[in-house]
Amino acid sequence: MTSRRGFLKAGGLALFGIGLGGIPGFLTEAVANTRAPGLFKRKKIMVCIFQRGAMDGLMAVTPFTDQYLKAARPTLFMDAARGNGKNTPLIDLDGRFGLHPSMAAFESMFRDKRMAIVHGIGSPNTTRSHFDAQDYMESGTPFRKGTDSGWLNRAVGLLGHDAATPFQGVSLTSSLPRSFYGDNPAVAISNLQDFNIQLKGNVKGANMAAKSFEDLYDTTSSGLLKETGKESFDAIKMLSKVDVKNYKPANNAVYPASALGNSLKQIAQLIKMDVGMEVAFAESGGWDTHFNQGAETGIFARNVNDLSNSIMAFWTDMGTYQDDLTVMTMTEFGRTVKQNGTGGTDHGRGSCNFILGNGVNGGLVHGLVNPLAVENLEDGRDLAVTTDFRSVFSEVADKHLNINNDKVLFPDWDGNKIGVMR
Amino acid sequence: MKTPVKVFYSFLFLLGVTVLFSSFQKEKPAAIKFVFPYKQAGLTERQAAAHLISRFTYGSRTGEGDVDAVLKIGLEKWFQQQLDGKIKDDSLNTLLHKFDAINLSNTEVENQYPRPGLAVRMAIKDGVINKDSVNKANGKEYRKQVQDYMESKGYKPQQELFRQFFNQKILRSAYTNNQLHELLTDFWFNHFNVSLTKNQSASFIPAYERDVIRPNVTGKFETLLLATAKSPAMLMYLDNFSSSGQQTAVSEGSMQMNDGMMLNGKAAAKAIARNRAKALTLKNAPAKKKQGGLNENYAREVMELHTLGVDGGYTQSDVTQAARVLTGWTIAPMGENGYGSSMKNLMDRVGDANLEKRGFVHDGDFLFVPTRHDNGEKLVLGKRFPANRGYDEGVELLSMLAHHPSTAKFIAKKLATRFVNDNPATALVDKMAKTFLKTDGDIKQVMITMVSSPEFWAPDALREKTKSPFELAISAVRSLDAQINQPYQLYVWINKMGQKMYFYQAPTGFPDRGQYWINTGALLNRMNFGLALASERIPGIKVNLSAMNGHHEPESAAAALVTYSKLIMPERNLTETVKRLTPMLNDPELMNKVETAAAKAAPPEMKNSMNSTGEELMMAKADQDASKVANKGYGKKASKVVMANGNNTMLAQVVGVIIGSPEFQRK
Repeated sequence: MTSRRGFLKAGGLALFGIGLGGIPGFLTEAVANTRAPGLFKRKKIMVCIFQRGAMDGLMAVTPFTDQYLKAARPTLFMDAARGNGKNTPLIDLDGRFGLHPSMAAFESMFRDKRMAIVHGIGSPNTTRSHFDAQDYMESGTPFRKGTDSGWLNRAVGLLGHDAATPFQGVSLTSSLPRSFYGDNPAVAISNLQDFNIQLKGNVKGANMAAKSFEDLYDTTSSGLLKETGKESFDAIKMLSKVDVKNYKPANNAVYPASALGNSLKQIAQLIKMDVGMEVAFAESGGWDTHFNQGAETGIFARNVNDLSNSIMAFWTDMGTYQDDLTVMTMTEFGRTVKQNGTGGTDHGRGSCNFILGNGVNGGLVHGLVNPLAVENLEDGRDLAVTTDFRSVFSEVADKHLNINNDKVLFPDWDGNKIGVMR
Repeated sequence: MKTPVKVFYSFLFLLGVTVLFSSFQKEKPAAIKFVFPYKQAGLTERQAAAHLISRFTYGSRTGEGDVDAVLKIGLEKWFQQQLDGKIKDDSLNTLLHKFDAINLSNTEVENQYPRPGLAVRMAIKDGVINKDSVNKANGKEYRKQVQDYMESKGYKPQQELFRQFFNQKILRSAYTNNQLHELLTDFWFNHFNVSLTKNQSASFIPAYERDVIRPNVTGKFETLLLATAKSPAMLMYLDNFSSSGQQTAVSEGSMQMNDGMMLNGKAAAKAIARNRAKALTLKNAPAKKKQGGLNENYAREVMELHTLGVDGGYTQSDVTQAARVLTGWTIAPMGENGYGSSMKNLMDRVGDANLEKRGFVHDGDFLFVPTRHDNGEKLVLGKRFPANRGYDEGVELLSMLAHHPSTAKFIAKKLATRFVNDNPATALVDKMAKTFLKTDGDIKQVMITMVSSPEFWAPDALREKTKSPFELAISAVRSLDAQINQPYQLYVWINKMGQKMYFYQAPTGFPDRGQYWINTGALLNRMNFGLALASERIPGIKVNLSAMNGHHEPESAAAALVTYSKLIMPERNLTETVKRLTPMLNDPELMNKVETAAAKAAPPEMKNSMNSTGEELMMAKADQDASKVANKGYGKKASKVVMANGNNTMLAQVVGVIIGSPEFQRK
């Protein structure tokens, strides 16, 4: 079954790839659900971005008609109407929700129905600790600390074909994140250029050293060092073919000179190299805005600006690869409805996330956000979690990567999907 | 009858002599009362010494012959000396002398190394820079203006402060004779993590490590906890500096939204209704002047991460109540341009003489402000904190947390994870926790219990820990007796290997397990680090491989391999390593190849990392300049020390591979 589908799909890809320099969105969509990637052919890729520190979803995508929110946030609330004394109102998405003005880059994606927002997303575990909430979200088991694998690692395992490449799962971080812990191969890379055994000005020496290292790691008694050593040398061999130093993004895309911009740029390079990457992970920091988070300008505005501009640069750069991609953001929880005494917000519950791609049920704010009257809030203070993060993650994995074994991907979960993908 | 009497008298006499004698010998340390059970685990004394060195130092120093030195002192006595941490450090102190910023107080730092934003604000205030030009198009000119302004005022860039801070840590770790104190400083800093990623707390971090952590690493846990709670770095990092409560009647004042969930049924509904009414009336009111409010961040993390542990048995209500206890704990004002001008005004109004009378507590950089304190009654972990106790109730709270059985277990497990293995046995943790509770949280005693336990010497502990990138780098320079002229270059490598020192953003600190450190990208960088270090391609890090072996040239390549493996990794079974590396030596054309390559070699770039920031480059250059100054006495030759020329001998390559080998990653 799988191999036949794989064969058909691979053939189709090659054909259109040559003829048109890319695959039209409508064609890939038609077969997306039955698609299994073939070896060394272009594959579907899911790119996840973890916003560490807990993004204030109510400021990113504001229910601006909500009077309770306005009252709870005397200095943080923004309006979608012009003429309120501010130069930059929210971007009105649907008469009820407004996108932060610093995320203007996202607007066209939303209007083109290629970006969906889920509001009120979060974890059923009510912890307000960054560490726990991130741990639970990345392990995918919100009530079990002991889960030794991360959900992205399990996703790699469920792709249905053996890794032909160590780059099946890639994290653009200097160490593997919790999401990628586990038995399936995954690589952490902070800089593609460093991915080799180097001895400046002494190539032969470097090659000999590499050979020795490979031997040593192959025979060490430490399982951890042995396994990682093997992965490392496999990876070197794959990357050795390309010049990553002089990368020019396509379509005049300009990546912000930020950590996230740099990560996404390298993900783009890996995709264009066809190294067989199917799951990619990057991080964005600075969301823990307890103190002076700002409104139209300030820390939060800068953060969402970087987030949206980085993602849109990546999207633009990917050009003809766009049909292969789904980009999804996530954050451990949201922040208090009420602003705190220090111009910021404290740890809360529900937040929102963004999903971009041609297969996304876009142009909609999914999920449920009730009026933010105190009686509707969790513990009388936080935006209620109305959509389990696993519902959204599993739907994206299913519709985009054809991973439909939810029992393995998210054990302990048997909820419903909400239709964020078409 | 006579004999017993005689015995009795002579006993008295002896006792008298002993008392007399010991009164003259006050300096003499107490006798060692513990024994390490390594023989039961089947280890020789040499192997035991090597294990101690690998766990309680940053690695053996070849030149010092560390294993022999430990044997000479005696294992237990050596450990006691390391716990006491009073060995002289003259040569290290000489090295540290050139860093003029590392002994500055927080106030001095605030006034000499203004945060980037502050310098700009002052420049605007002084009319040097136009407000509208900030963040405008011509960045270059604008930056120059700021720079000129800073120079004219005698202000220095903050990066210089941090460069010196990183450098001192690297030099201390590499060269101090009190190795265990340095390891514990690292451990407790990571336990009470604060991060340079948070700008507002960054400038307080050098003093935090120096004054809050380092002096307390082997004392009582409670002392450490209280010192961190009162430090500007922690107060700022976890936001408690800004947390305040209403100072009003006990029953009304504490009815904040956060406490709503604490109350039962009707009362909660009422409180919520009241809050809502209040919130709605605020709707069109102009933003009130910044006045503070409750912030739970520190209260939560002090329980979850510093004391009880996440499963330590506390609830959200305990967190909120503890946060109320700690309201009013904040940072004292720091000089003219430093932090806290509003507090300064407040204190001036009250007057120095009246501070204590009014319930203020001013202790160094710490300030308790009674008017910001929620003076209502609180209930934390079942303990009642009566109203109006001010500063003292916070101290009581922290003391209660420091002595809690969950804390004993949590700290014991964390220490065992750091020093024994990634998954320490429950029996070991229980023993250590018991000592913790029995000794009022005496860290020294807990450490002694740990090393006196068979679990420390068991086969599943030996070589089972993976070095962190920092530990790898420091152990490598120690094992090669490297001379560190530009410590910042090591900082850059440690960062590349996956550990950005002082920049771990979360209050959890770096995870302490091999799995976290070892992954594909990081592992390759470890190998590259070994090669770069041994071949002298790291600028400012000088290695003399010949001196390492007492200037004896090994008879053959094979002999060199064996000799240097043993020098770098004493008391390890190296059969496999040597066997695997031998083919490397058997290439007949090896020397030719290497030399040809060397002739063609371009001078190594100072930085080649694509994602290195301009800041890093600047700091590296500053480091280089500092090194040049330090070497000035040697004339022109000195610049050779500064810039690595690269050593392409086969020996350098072998040593590089040993440093990057799997065996050397373990400790």
